[in-house]
Amino acid sequence: MSPFHSHFEALRVNRRSFLQQSSYGLGGLAMAMLHQKGSAATADLAKPDDWKGALKAPHSPVKAKRVIFLCMAGGPSQYETFDWKPELKKLHDQAFPESFTKGQQLAQLQGAQLKARGSFTDFRKHGQSGIEVSDLFPEIAKQADKLCVIRSMQTEQINHDTAHAFMNTGSIIKGRPSMGSWLTYGLGSETEDLPGFIVLTSAGKHGQQPISARQWSSGVLPSRFQGIQFQSKGDAVHYIGNPDGVCQSTQRQVIEEIQRLNGFLAEEQNDPEIATRISQYEMAFKMQSSVPELTDFSAESQATLDRYGVKEPGDGSFASNCLLARRLAERGVRMIQLYHRAWDHHSQIEEGMKDGASTVDGPTAALLQDLEERGLLEDTLVLWGGEFGRTPMGQGSGRDHHILSFSVFMAGGGIKPGTTWGSTDELGYRAVEDVVSVHDLHATMLSLLGIDHHRLTTKFQGLDVRLTGVGGNLVRGIVA
Amino acid sequence: MTLSLMNKVTLILGVPFVALTGVHGAETPAPAKVSFNRDIRPIMSDTCFHCHGFDANTREAGLRLDIREEAIKETEDGVLAIVPGEPDKSEIIIRIFDEGDPMPPDKAHKPFTPEQKELFRRWVAEGAEYEPHWSYAELKKPELPKTEAASGNPIDAFIRAELAEKKLSLSPSAAPQVLARRLSLDLTGLPLGGETVAVDYEAQVDSLLASPHFGERMAVWWLDIARFADTVGFHGDQNQRIFPYRDYVIDAFHKNKPFDVFTREQLAGDLLPEPTKEQLTATGYNRLNMMTREGGAQPKEYLSKYGAERVRSVSAAWFGSTFGCAECHDHKFDPIKASDFYEMQSFFADVKQWGVYADYGYTPEPELKGVNNDSPFPPEIEVESPWLKRQHHLAGEALDRLLAETSASLQSDAKLIAARDEWEKGLAPFLKSHTDGWLTPAPLEGKILKDGKPVADRSPAVATTGAIAADKALGRGESLEVTLDPAGLSTLASVQLGIEKGELDAKTMADRAGKALTFSLAIRDSKGAVKKLSIRHAEATAKRPVFRGGGEVIGVQSEWRLPAVLSVEEPLRSVWLVSEPVKLSEGDRIVATLGGDNLLPVKLSLSPLAALEPLETAASKTLVALAAATRDAEAVGLVDTAFLFSTAADRAAYDAAHQLAAKQREFREGKAWTMVTLPTDKPLEVRVLPRGNWQDETGPVVLPSTPSFLPGRLESTPEKRLTRLDLANWITSDANPITSRAVMNRLWAMFFGTGLSAVIDDLGSQGELPSHPELLDWLAFEFRESGWDLQHMVRLIVTSETYRQSSNLRPELKDADPANRLLASQNPRRLEAEFVRDNALSIAGLLNLDDIGGPSVKPYQPAGYYEALQFPNRDYVADTDARQWRRGVYTHWQRTFLHPMMANFDAPARDECAAARVNSNTPQQALTLLNDPAFVEAARGLAARLLGDQRAKTDPERITAAYRIALNREPAAREVEALTAFLKTQQDHFSAAPEEAEKLLAIGLSPPSGLEPSLHASWTQLARVLLNAHETITRY
Repeated sequence: MSPFHSHFEALRVNRRSFLQQSSYGLGGLAMAMLHQKGSAATADLAKPDDWKGALKAPHSPVKAKRVIFLCMAGGPSQYETFDWKPELKKLHDQAFPESFTKGQQLAQLQGAQLKARGSFTDFRKHGQSGIEVSDLFPEIAKQADKLCVIRSMQTEQINHDTAHAFMNTGSIIKGRPSMGSWLTYGLGSETEDLPGFIVLTSAGKHGQQPISARQWSSGVLPSRFQGIQFQSKGDAVHYIGNPDGVCQSTQRQVIEEIQRLNGFLAEEQNDPEIATRISQYEMAFKMQSSVPELTDFSAESQATLDRYGVKEPGDGSFASNCLLARRLAERGVRMIQLYHRAWDHHSQIEEGMKDGASTVDGPTAALLQDLEERGLLEDTLVLWGGEFGRTPMGQGSGRDHHILSFSVFMAGGGIKPGTTWGSTDELGYRAVEDVVSVHDLHATMLSLLGIDHHRLTTKFQGLDVRLTGVGGNLVRGIVA
Repeated sequence: MTLSLMNKVTLILGVPFVALTGVHGAETPAPAKVSFNRDIRPIMSDTCFHCHGFDANTREAGLRLDIREEAIKETEDGVLAIVPGEPDKSEIIIRIFDEGDPMPPDKAHKPFTPEQKELFRRWVAEGAEYEPHWSYAELKKPELPKTEAASGNPIDAFIRAELAEKKLSLSPSAAPQVLARRLSLDLTGLPLGGETVAVDYEAQVDSLLASPHFGERMAVWWLDIARFADTVGFHGDQNQRIFPYRDYVIDAFHKNKPFDVFTREQLAGDLLPEPTKEQLTATGYNRLNMMTREGGAQPKEYLSKYGAERVRSVSAAWFGSTFGCAECHDHKFDPIKASDFYEMQSFFADVKQWGVYADYGYTPEPELKGVNNDSPFPPEIEVESPWLKRQHHLAGEALDRLLAETSASLQSDAKLIAARDEWEKGLAPFLKSHTDGWLTPAPLEGKILKDGKPVADRSPAVATTGAIAADKALGRGESLEVTLDPAGLSTLASVQLGIEKGELDAKTMADRAGKALTFSLAIRDSKGAVKKLSIRHAEATAKRPVFRGGGEVIGVQSEWRLPAVLSVEEPLRSVWLVSEPVKLSEGDRIVATLGGDNLLPVKLSLSPLAALEPLETAASKTLVALAAATRDAEAVGLVDTAFLFSTAADRAAYDAAHQLAAKQREFREGKAWTMVTLPTDKPLEVRVLPRGNWQDETGPVVLPSTPSFLPGRLESTPEKRLTRLDLANWITSDANPITSRAVMNRLWAMFFGTGLSAVIDDLGSQGELPSHPELLDWLAFEFRESGWDLQHMVRLIVTSETYRQSSNLRPELKDADPANRLLASQNPRRLEAEFVRDNALSIAGLLNLDDIGGPSVKPYQPAGYYEALQFPNRDYVADTDARQWRRGVYTHWQRTFLHPMMANFDAPARDECAAARVNSNTPQQALTLLNDPAFVEAARGLAARLLGDQRAKTDPERITAAYRIALNREPAAREVEALTAFLKTQQDHFSAAPEEAEKLLAIGLSPPSGLEPSLHASWTQLARVLLNAHETITRY
């Protein structure tokens, strides 16, 4: 053991004794008070990274331990994915009945003449369950019996930026924590060497829309719970690489020396932040080796690479990100969010959907299969879907944004496989049966992770802030 | 763990801090009388008011507990909730202790602790007296407590009095060098820089307060509150032009602008009589809400979002209160009604802005015609920026020096003199026949091309004047190619495109205004070989601006956009400088290609002359000088300059001059645009929106009024609508008790790490009663009475003994006051993000402190970070000059992707008012300090500084110097010993691997030191250790 280690151990003891004596520091006090209250789990206070979450015990049976959210940014069309509407196809190119649309909010179609646009593709029933999937997604279709397709989603925000905010944080007010932050805050993480909430992004050729780092912000929760975006260029995580000319062992020497000085300081100055700082440097050093190990796919077989369709490991493609997602799931990362920016098809929806589908179909299916084969699917909740849907009315050669109906699917941890839930009217304009709001979706996801959405809260400006705002109902029908 | 979480935790417990210490204190004196504000209101607010509070819609059992008259009245069901003095007859006490059917109910998940239950019982027994909420109550000057305070500083009197009650005392003063560093970091965000000067403490306070860096430091505080950012935040997150507002804020704090004036100028500077540009710049505050340009967004929806954000931000900034909930319903915990929210919004209904900053087909906005993703966000005004002005001046001086040197070499350099004489001789015949310096040949040939190939059945129209125009509008990929014979020209230096008067009638001119024209140039030699010529710079006499990334393109670059209004009387011209003047041979033809949607006839002229500024080409004074038989000194200078730019004979001088000129143009003659408030006389109609739904028009229309729950309410009448100026005046009037409390509480947090009321973003009933309510009121009163003199208040705080105490908490205080709310000690505090950067660069000797203000700057940032940004796509280009090492407050603030260093150290994205920063301690911070090139470069800088210090000859001496620079103290023996040993390992390593040393030293753009690489690299490693040390980023 290096001299540093023994020193570090000594500090850990110091830190513990600080807290047992109800040390003066605010941080220490907060932890101590959390304990008195009994609302924090038995985190090892000597190691602030070992945050076991604000939940002392699960509020409900834990069916999923982690979430992989395949976010189809831009809003894919439900009529070309999971909501088969033969009546809409019959009405193709004819006037869209005004009885449906009157008084409703539209985006770019405001004031335009509304014409129906039928699906340009066909649907087939798949698997034992007979779930209808569009022909654009043959690989996902083969996984039909793993899926629970929700066709009755609704959201409240009709523009990308705010709709993403709503989907991620349950609010459009800035500073609300995102779903992944809530999970790591509530449950902690199962990995010590990696952040608990990781975000990966990729983009297609058509229909790109920007996204913001706000979407994975921890908002009013401490920033340790924020999502860490992995970059497709340069260092996977900002500043993870040593400076040029500094090898890993020299970097280690630098860190040990920093720790030594901080140790001296801790003896002189009564400040619990010093011990925290020491453990954060240790964590940072661990990340400096665990992140490269994570993003090194050389241990993956060619068959695996082929199955996902990975051409160039780590190239930032959706395929590579899906494989990375599995590797993150294996390592205990709590929330893994993949954005694929490719679905905003105001025009040329045929080209756009075909391109998006061909990019996403295979890797998504591979991820589901791979997770299952490795025994991970049973406690990994996979969510696939966009921030909203698209209109059954055409917009030139495409479709506009739509909030009254869209489709998502879930699979894995605690989800009833091979089911469809909810339905839309005959033209797919509005979800009419078993409508699922974004808050309902959140409430259900949290529940699968053992969390009562009413009870995972934080105080901000005098309010109990929570992911589901003031709403949210558990959708029991989709829970296994 | 963070301060803010502590606050949250206090609230979760539902026990105010003071009560807690009472419970856990070493000795518990006989319980004092229960105080409603201190003990009862926080619990009620957290647990009771949701169902028994202000909001009539959620009130249950007809019971209201927030007003005493209601709480002691018999309800419709015949229940007596509170019987003062008789807890056993009071329903709330019975239910609180009822385990079978308790209040609060189990489903609320907010059970009372036994201590809380007991407090309630005692409170009712003692008479159930209510008090008005502390922050809304009238502000009176409290009596100073009588203590044996030595300092005479009232702050100490309040703090000592409270401590004495707990049998505690202040800690001793911090060591002078610790205190000096603390003060410097607190007042300027900068370290002392290693020069320990023995100055009197009060003198140090005065000198730091007088420094412009105090203004920069305070600006960081206010810019969070004002949500200042360089980008709009929504969707495409485009750049907005607003930096002069930031400079206004810096200047205001530097000049100690009274806070009431500061308030008035920001909220309503445009409504002041004959507002100055400075006052208008201040109104940029009202424009700092996030904005969108997203296609498909509905203007009305976004105007409603902007309006709501403004209420949240204004109320957070000036009232320390949260109006947010009242957007949808009456506040549950505070007497803030939905009507208060919309009445506040209504004050700002006259702020001119657009819901969606574009002219989309589905929602035409005629005033925004032509706006694209690169356009700015009007309304704006043009103002002078001192920084730009200075840079413009400096660049101009450098250019003048260069031209003077060039002129001098034309007096002495025989070769150049000969070249000039020959040039003049060759030029003379041309100028004789072309007295204006331009050759305008009739086009030899004109073709319409599509994708570079002639279109068979089309040909351009050529006017008798020689002007040429396309036959009809050019389609995609089409252009007009004109061939000219440059007969008589031996050199081509510039080309002029002229649109002359009299070519067309007024109506046709008007129809064709506002079009654009592109231009490119080539030479075809007698053998048919074509050589493209590039354009160095072009400018036009009149043009519509072209924007890129929100800023105006300098000169005419990709296209010349003709003015929106064309007059037949005023000819237009643009001059295009050939990248370097080109010699023409016999038979050469000039091929000009015109594109764009312009249909006006264009006259092409060629000149052998060029000037540094395109429109100065063939200026009459130059022509006169060239024609003169004898020349005075000025004429000689004109000829020399014309020679330089028309021939590039002195190539180095020619290039240097153009580079300097290009740089100077970037400073735009010291002018900059900034977003401002422009009042409209047709304010938007503001209604109470049920549940905040912008599409619901059933709510009543409201007019501006000050909050109903605060004293001195002002209300609009149908005849007299209150204005933003009325609001600003009321905010800073004696009637309003909350603003000075909110500002002083935040100021206190700056110097002690936490506010006197710890929840600094909520002074309402869900917040926290101040630890020292009388002190806060005394400060608030003094602030107002002093004429809102912020520097006076800062001076009072930092000269107090309370501030000057050691931050090393005495062991005996750990139990007595674990959160140090009684302030028997100072609190250590990690530096804010901006100052983490400033501190490191300053220690390195790299920090650029000469520059104050100016456009935001771009420090190094990981590549590809803006990849997910679109409309337009963004490419971050780090600054390569002195701007690279500027202070953090000037960092380009991209709301959707804040600079990772800033984000990692808890700087807020500033989407909305951010009154309280969290203070986290994360591995990302470690990675940043270890590996961000800015910090590695800073380490290299510090190493060079130490190795260059002639007074420090030995390693221990250099280590000592490093500690003085970085920490303003002497190192301990064990520190010197440890670092000396570490240095040895690094020296051994880099001596064996010199190529690694070279790589490490190549990080960052600052010039190399010339030091021996392995030596410099090993000291760089040592410097990295110091820059990463917790002590370095902490103010103790």
